[in-house]
Order: sequence, then C-alpha cells, then structure tokens
Amino acid sequence: MLENIALIKEVHELMPISKAEALAQEYLAKIALEDIGLLRLVQCTPTDIFYVMLIRALMSKEMNIIILTPFYLIHDLKSIQTILENMQLLNNNKEITIFDIITNEIHYEGCLCNTVK
Amino acid sequence: MILRFVEGVGEKTIHTLSSVYEAVKFTAICLIHMVQPLSYNPAMRMVLTKQIYFTAVGIIPLFIMMAFLFGSVIIGVVIVLATEYNLQDRIGSIIITFVIDEFSPFFTALLISLRSGTAINTEIAVMKVNKELNTLKEYEIDLINYLFLPRIISGIISITSLSILFALIMLSSGYVFTLFYMDMDLHSYKNLLIDAIEVQDLVILLLKGVSFGFVTMLIPIYSGLKTANSYTAIPISVLNGMVKLFIAIFFIEVISLLLQSL
Repeated sequence: MLENIALIKEVHELMPISKAEALAQEYLAKIALEDIGLLRLVQCTPTDIFYVMLIRALMSKEMNIIILTPFYLIHDLKSIQTILENMQLLNNNKEITIFDIITNEIHYEGCLCNTVK
Repeated sequence: MILRFVEGVGEKTIHTLSSVYEAVKFTAICLIHMVQPLSYNPAMRMVLTKQIYFTAVGIIPLFIMMAFLFGSVIIGVVIVLATEYNLQDRIGSIIITFVIDEFSPFFTALLISLRSGTAINTEIAVMKVNKELNTLKEYEIDLINYLFLPRIISGIISITSLSILFALIMLSSGYVFTLFYMDMDLHSYKNLLIDAIEVQDLVILLLKGVSFGFVTMLIPIYSGLKTANSYTAIPISVLNGMVKLFIAIFFIEVISLLLQSL
C-alpha cells in the first residue's frame, strides 16, 4: 500500500522513494493504519482500501477531491461520521466533497457536514 | 458474390494494415520514451529494478541447470556429428557459431517468453480489465514510463545478460564432453575456442539479445493492452500474445540467418 500511495509524489514531484514512502506512512499513522503499509491489496479490508484511495488523492496536486457513494465502496459502513473525522485528520487544505444518493441520506443524519439536496 | 468477396478481402486488408500501423506506432512511442531522460523518474527506476530481479535473477538457478543439461547434450551431438563428417579441424568455429550466434540467444528468448512474457501479458490484461490502467491515467501517470518502459528495458537487459551466461555455461559444459569423448585437455579446448571466436560473433549475440528482449516484452504488453473488458478475454489475450511473440522470435531468427549468410 505504501508504494501505491507514494507513487503519486514520486512521479509528479520526482520525490525520492524513501521520502515519498515515509510521507505515506505518516499519513497512514494519522488514522492508525500504519500496519497496512506493507500489505498487498488483497490483504486489505474495503475500509483500508478506501483510506488508501483517499490518501492517494490527497497526495495529488488537485485541490478538489470528490468521493462518490462511499456506502458502495465500504460495504460494512454504518455511519459516515468515522470517515468524516478521519478526513479531518488527514486533510490539510483540500476541498473534499461527497456525492451520494438520496436513499443513503439516513447515514448522514447528525453528521458534522453540510448536506445539499 | 464476387463483390462480397472483394469487400471481405478489402475489409480484412484494412483491418490488418490498421493493426500493423497501431503496433508500429506503439513501438515508436516506446522507443521515443526510452531515449528521453525524463522517463526515468524514481518510480520507474524502482519498477525497473524489480523487473530485472523477477526476470533475470529469479530464474538463475533453473537457468544454470537447464543451460548445463541442454548445453552438454546439444554440444555433445554437435561434436559427434562434426567428428563423423571429418570436421575436427573446424570444430571450434562450429561450436562458437552454434552456441554464441544461434542457440544461446534463441533458447534464452524462448525461456524468458514462456516465463516472463506470459506473466506480463496476464498482468497488463488484468490491469486493463480491473480498470487499474484507467486509474493510473486519472492520476496523470504515464503508462509507458511507469509500466511499459521498465518491462521492456528489463527484457533487453535480462535476455542479453542471460544469453551471455547461457553461452558461457554451454561452452564450459562442452569442455566436459570433449574431455571424455575426445580426450582433449582444457588448454587445447580453450585455444580452440579463442582461435575460432570473432568480434562478429559477440556483436551478433548482443544484437540478438537486444532484439529478442525488446519483442519478448513489447508484444505481451501490447497484447495485454488490447484485451477486451472481461475476465474471459484474459486467456485469449495471453494466447494471441504468445502466438505473435513466437512468430516474432522466429522472424528475428530467420532475418539474422539471412543477414549472416550475405
């Protein structure tokens, strides 16, 4: 997973591998997922994969990140609150937007996020 | 009836020509990327190192064993035949031509095609079907620099270096055979080979290694890229890729023989 995340900085900013992987490990440690750093894709849970995808997106130069229907990406997700909290821990300055369908509205009740219908 | 036949021939011709054009275009793009220093970013260099390890280093124990077994048997046959036809005085040049110019690069290319060519074809096809290639494109990661170039360069380096290793092992195992069959000492055998070897033989070995290495990786990559978007298309892609690869290897071998005979 570390290689997967570090790749973006290595290619776009020509960052040395050791530095890019240390940065990736730092991001994983922020949400207590440092153990998955050396795992392969098949060894990770859908939640782990979701966070790896999110961190990878945070590594890119794009300032806007769009997440589509997170409840389809993570099958065992009950509430979006944990993800929102972890996003706050990870995110520095990027605009993250979640697009979801109206039937998933119940999962967002009481969350610290703006809901636009 | 005739019109339909002509239309069919025309359609197939256009399809074949456009496929050839696409393949040539892909080859040219890969070659252009190969000479651009910007292609060699840290991620690419890491993939290249791993590919060389998987292609060339991982196979060494099996390769040495096969080189020794095949080498001693085949070189034995060559020596026996040369003796039968009273060609003892030309045995050095026969061994050098057979081992260095022909057998080593060809056998290495076949072995690497079977081992790494199939693996790379499957890998690229699976990535295509799983939309991983699209993800890399979304992140503006150049597929040629990150995925294809390291594999092509590793193919060139691996096949060339393994061909040299194969030739050395085969020539060494040839000594074992000459020792028992012809009662020839090491010094005489060494002189026999040194007298027979020419710069041209080494150039042929290197050129064939580079050509075989290039096609052994390029064709499976291209075939994997052309996979249709379903899992059932993966074995078809590997099958087609391998057939094209073997045709290309035999084609290079024939061209090389024709050029040498000029």
